[in-house]
Amino acid sequence: MKTTVVGSYPKPPEEGRSFTLRRTLHARERGEATDADVVAAQEQLAREVIAEQEEAGIELVTDGQVRWDDIVTPFASAMGGFEIGGLLRFFDNNVYYRRPVCVGEVSWRGPASVEAYRFAASVATVPVKAVIPGPVTFARLSLDEHYHDHAAFVMAIARVLAQEAFELAAAGAPVIQIDEPALPGAPEDLDLARRAVGEITSELDGVVTLVATYFQDCKRLGPQIADLPVDGFGFDLVSGPDDEDLIAQIAGDRVIQAGVVDARNTALEDRTALAARIARLAETVGPRELWVSPSAGLEFLPRDRARAKLRRLVEAARDAGARHG
Amino acid sequence: MRGPDMADVDLEGGGLWTTSVGSLPKPAYLSRARSAAARGEIEHDELVALERRATREWIEFQESIGTDLIVDGEMYRGDMVAYFAEELDGFEIGGLVRSYGNRYYRKPIATGPIRRREPITVQWWRYAQSLTRRPVKGMLTGPYTICDWSFDEHYGSRRDMVLDLARVIRDEAADLQEAGARFIQIDEPAASTRMDELDLVIEAMEIVTEPLSAHTITHICYGDFHNAYPRMLDIPVDQIDLEFANSDFALLDAFAAHPFTKVIGLGVVDVHSHEIEPVEAIADGIRRALKLIPPERMFVDPDCGLKTRTPEEARAKLTNIRAAVDEVRAEVGLA
Repeated sequence: MKTTVVGSYPKPPEEGRSFTLRRTLHARERGEATDADVVAAQEQLAREVIAEQEEAGIELVTDGQVRWDDIVTPFASAMGGFEIGGLLRFFDNNVYYRRPVCVGEVSWRGPASVEAYRFAASVATVPVKAVIPGPVTFARLSLDEHYHDHAAFVMAIARVLAQEAFELAAAGAPVIQIDEPALPGAPEDLDLARRAVGEITSELDGVVTLVATYFQDCKRLGPQIADLPVDGFGFDLVSGPDDEDLIAQIAGDRVIQAGVVDARNTALEDRTALAARIARLAETVGPRELWVSPSAGLEFLPRDRARAKLRRLVEAARDAGARHG
Repeated sequence: MRGPDMADVDLEGGGLWTTSVGSLPKPAYLSRARSAAARGEIEHDELVALERRATREWIEFQESIGTDLIVDGEMYRGDMVAYFAEELDGFEIGGLVRSYGNRYYRKPIATGPIRRREPITVQWWRYAQSLTRRPVKGMLTGPYTICDWSFDEHYGSRRDMVLDLARVIRDEAADLQEAGARFIQIDEPAASTRMDELDLVIEAMEIVTEPLSAHTITHICYGDFHNAYPRMLDIPVDQIDLEFANSDFALLDAFAAHPFTKVIGLGVVDVHSHEIEPVEAIADGIRRALKLIPPERMFVDPDCGLKTRTPEEARAKLTNIRAAVDEVRAEVGLA
């Protein structure tokens, strides 16, 4: 069993400490700070966030996505063919992202996340997971004014993300998570996702690849989700507790990343009940293939609550592991 | 409650009125004073005096450009949900969470039954209305949005929490009406978040507007409009205020397919852009909307609250809206 996170982590500090990143971004807006100042603030925050996950006992961490506002715009900005448009709600959260607008051929212009990955890996003492947006979600969160063909648009994005994933693997990422939160609501795209995700994973060697869903259950995808050519799947068992049945159907040699701690509400899970649930999942999946995580990125919570959630996850996973022998 | 067929607007001018959605930017002296007050460096009374000064200045500005329906600009509010949560029993104010970009807010946590101790906004509304002969909007955050933008450690049921909040906001709205407010806005920006909860939004708004004879408005933004429309017309208010500039007026396509039957609040400038939209571009947007909605059922305003702009940007945007409206009013024979 492994404890991990889905991706994002709160950027604000705990109460009473200085919020350097916010201050620096404001200062840059006024022309009083440079891009290098912002990068320094982001790196400092990434260090803190990685250390916090390690202290909590998380075994596979991320850099908390502290340089990103959301999972698509950093990639769209790095690609050719996109402009960044108006604010839209990010799924059903009170969080808003700027929608990428595709105005021309989507093209690779260089890596979007590799430098941040290298930095994270250089400061972490445990393995660091790389996260990229999935092509279906990327397309669905964007506005296509160029291809006018959903499948062509998705595949064009997939080809660029494949290059990104290849470079992340070359930079040493042991795990690449492909985020597809839009897929559970778009089962009609499952076959397209199979081809698009295959575009990314077929070039990767020696990397564990996951497709992660969150914010909703995967009922409408059904066991066909297993057709996606990846090594494992991430489920949000808080939004979709019944996905446990789906997990039972697809468990086998796949990794199951089970989101068992609510990343979107402050109420802290009961340790005993959580441990019992993890133990049950370990029975279903097999302890070797089970990863446990929060239900989604933790950025929806205040910093102190996010940290408390991670500690609770690790405690409960250890309890469950001890019980399991 | 007034039905859509009774939504005649009690204002002079025949139509195409101007207003604001709610919040306006706080002047620098007030932002500094709020920080100082948070650090305990100035007295509460001193802060309130500055909030009143800023309110007065914004009302003077709105009058000076000829705004028809005035807002107080919410100089005394930080966040539209936390402001109410702070005044209600049953809420704690949590830590910072991000809203978008580099913007953060303190997300409340429901830890017990939510109850109102006393009127929250009435005193400020009375003060604002005392400064002008034009009507000032009563400004409330709707029950669904307060629930959706809070954490819940008490109810365990979104419906129970929303309905408790609906009774709280109903009492506040009734008190505003009693104080003399003829226009009451109950913002539900979260209403377009989950299509399967639109019935709950409607049920809650029925509770809120049930005792009201005032002109009722709700503001909704950043959502899945194409799925929420036309069902959002069942929300029991006289007027719905929507953002158009942010999506290049794409929403008008939905109105072409299914008529918009209420009074519209037409958002015509982007509140997240530093760019000051030219008068002519704003006027074009209004003209496009007028093909589908008559002027006697149209208010024109920014897409959303302007609090994230600088005061200069907000004044420039509002001034251009007024100029565009005047231009179009002349074309349709209202000037």
